[in-house]
Amino acid sequence: MARSIDFAHIDEETAYLDTACRAPLPEPVLAALDAYHLEYAACGGRGKYAWARRVDEVVEDTRRAVLKDLRLSPRRYATSFTLNTTAGLNLLLQQLPIGRFDRVVTSHIEHNSVFLPTMTAAARLGVPRVVLERAPDGSLEIDGVDLTRAVVVVNAASNVDGRVLANAKEVAKAVHAAGGILIVDAAQAMAHAVDAVAGLDADAVCYSAHKLYGASLGVVAARIDLLRSLQVSTIGGGMVADVREDGFDLVLDDPASILEPGLQDWGGIAALAAALPWRTRAMREGGAALTARADRLYEALAGMPGLRMVSEHRSTVIAVAPEKQDAHRLAIFLSEAGVAARSGYFCVHHELKHRRALPPLLRFSLGLHTTDEDVDRTVDALGRLMRGLR
Amino acid sequence: MFCIAAFIILAVLAVFSAKYRRSLAKSWACTSRRLTLRPCDTGFRDDAKSRLLAPIAVRHPALVLPAGIALDVLSWLLILTTVWSLYTATKAGANLVAYGTCSPQNAASCSLGAEACSIDSGQPEFWESVGTGDVVGAFAREFGEFGAAFAAIPARLRVWDADEFVPADATWLTAYDADKPTAIEILDPGCSVCRQLFRNMLESGFDRTHNVTYLAFPIPSPDGGTKFPNSTLVASVLQAVRLTPALAERAVDWAILTRIFTGEIGGAPAQEVLNEADRAQAEAILAGWLAEAGADAEQVAAVMALAESPEVADALAATASVVRDDIDTVKIPTLITDGRRHDGLVGVDQLR
Repeated sequence: MARSIDFAHIDEETAYLDTACRAPLPEPVLAALDAYHLEYAACGGRGKYAWARRVDEVVEDTRRAVLKDLRLSPRRYATSFTLNTTAGLNLLLQQLPIGRFDRVVTSHIEHNSVFLPTMTAAARLGVPRVVLERAPDGSLEIDGVDLTRAVVVVNAASNVDGRVLANAKEVAKAVHAAGGILIVDAAQAMAHAVDAVAGLDADAVCYSAHKLYGASLGVVAARIDLLRSLQVSTIGGGMVADVREDGFDLVLDDPASILEPGLQDWGGIAALAAALPWRTRAMREGGAALTARADRLYEALAGMPGLRMVSEHRSTVIAVAPEKQDAHRLAIFLSEAGVAARSGYFCVHHELKHRRALPPLLRFSLGLHTTDEDVDRTVDALGRLMRGLR
Repeated sequence: MFCIAAFIILAVLAVFSAKYRRSLAKSWACTSRRLTLRPCDTGFRDDAKSRLLAPIAVRHPALVLPAGIALDVLSWLLILTTVWSLYTATKAGANLVAYGTCSPQNAASCSLGAEACSIDSGQPEFWESVGTGDVVGAFAREFGEFGAAFAAIPARLRVWDADEFVPADATWLTAYDADKPTAIEILDPGCSVCRQLFRNMLESGFDRTHNVTYLAFPIPSPDGGTKFPNSTLVASVLQAVRLTPALAERAVDWAILTRIFTGEIGGAPAQEVLNEADRAQAEAILAGWLAEAGADAEQVAAVMALAESPEVADALAATASVVRDDIDTVKIPTLITDGRRHDGLVGVDQLR
């Protein structure tokens, strides 16, 4: 089956299977990005001329689209744009009000974008940091855990094996009941598992547009009262209504700006506006086929000699541990065969390298651009390598 | 070793193309750790090696292991040859500075130095020794020569005063003039390069601007004789002339040298004829030249007899000692003048 017309620009000879890091841009998103740069490449929030007004309109539309996509109320939530998920999480965690929280809670399978800032945030807040287990189905194991006034930061979907936060609603309820807040890293959920986070009563949802077929951009959808409670330390133009010699006034009627110092990636925001509806339509039309291809690849990998499955469940993100071969070397060999797969620990060193003592892994993350031929190419190339390498 | 080998190759490639410089920096990070006996932690080695093996891996994965071993072996060979090349180049450079030749053991074989007749050491070459099983001796001599070359550099770079080496019985190519600087040539009468230097001196007028004298040094050969069969005879006759005041005053020895270096016998260069002559023929030629230079029959007979004497032999031995130990040259001719030492042939322009 040929590649979707929206991905006709992708080389047919390359099976790109690193979607968990960066999803390729489909044609409509590229067109939106091009349109910004070719037709109205101006700054937002500053100008009165036509191009600038168009940018403002696109930005406001995208903010609303983000909330709509997550099924969040614009009366309670605001959308901020940042550099990426890591930047969004840091902007929130490093500016939380001191004295408001008693602990920082996260889980062992978090990406470094969560794992690291929770360390520094706990240190800054002067509270303990608690690291919880995640069940095989992705549930956060909170039974018996004191969540009083806790800042809970967890992913909605793992970037290692794709497992989702199965008990997300229960976690949110428990956290809020204990006076805490829930911040969700939705970077891996937004492309193919948005239901894992949509409608969730989280206090903030952070993700990267480039993992859901958009341009490089970070997104934070956060409760307005949380944004207003932040002790602002990262500050710049676009966040203030007035500046005096020794003081300033924040823009009170635009809480989203609290996380947006300086100029934004207006082109990336325009691309996100196109990516959100594209992803929804593409998943509706091709989600089942994507799942089928991921299942087929999972089965093939599970049957290959010399590979140990790290992923316990089928997902579009599949990690395997080569038993005798170096994963980095395999990734290079696969590249020669036209397969782009990731190797290493995928920024989850704590869980994979230290807790589970795993060697560097191979990861195959499929996307809506993936074809049956991509899967065949991968199975054929890796199969030959695993059978032939000594 | 692979990263060091890669660094060497990339260092060369980076000279010609900027695209290799990024990889060069990565390979250096790994190489610097290896050179300081730490493990390479940059991933460069595995990355580069895997990229080289990738085309084989996708076609014949079973060959990756032997190909990887071959890469390691090649890396070792490259490093060893590079280290040996650097060592050899360094040694040759030191020899060039110290002795005017990159190969003191066989100076004539080195094209980088001036043309000369070499004073061969007679020692076997490195690989020759290794071939005969004398590995320890081969390395001992090799590194001994390496150290000797560097040890000789300071002496080579000093100011050379020709008067320091002028013998008491010196004779002069032209009438001695105290206002002219002294030049002393270490020569072997059988050496064709000495012949050329003599001609260059005449052509350049060096003989008129300098007080030129000489030390006759028959170049020894490894078999205990001399490089040119009649050199000792000629040097002995020259020394005998210098010990004969009546002839020395008239610089008859220089007249003989002039014959050797500029004359002809039967249409052939006199030096070549002398070199190919047997001893009796050589003695006859020398006797004839003595007579032509004004020596009477009695003086000729006396000189030829004196040439066989222990006195002359001792004088030649003393000269050889000066050449070997004090001047420490391995190239003939060697010309000391104007504060410098010139090993090998000196051109007309330089003599001017």
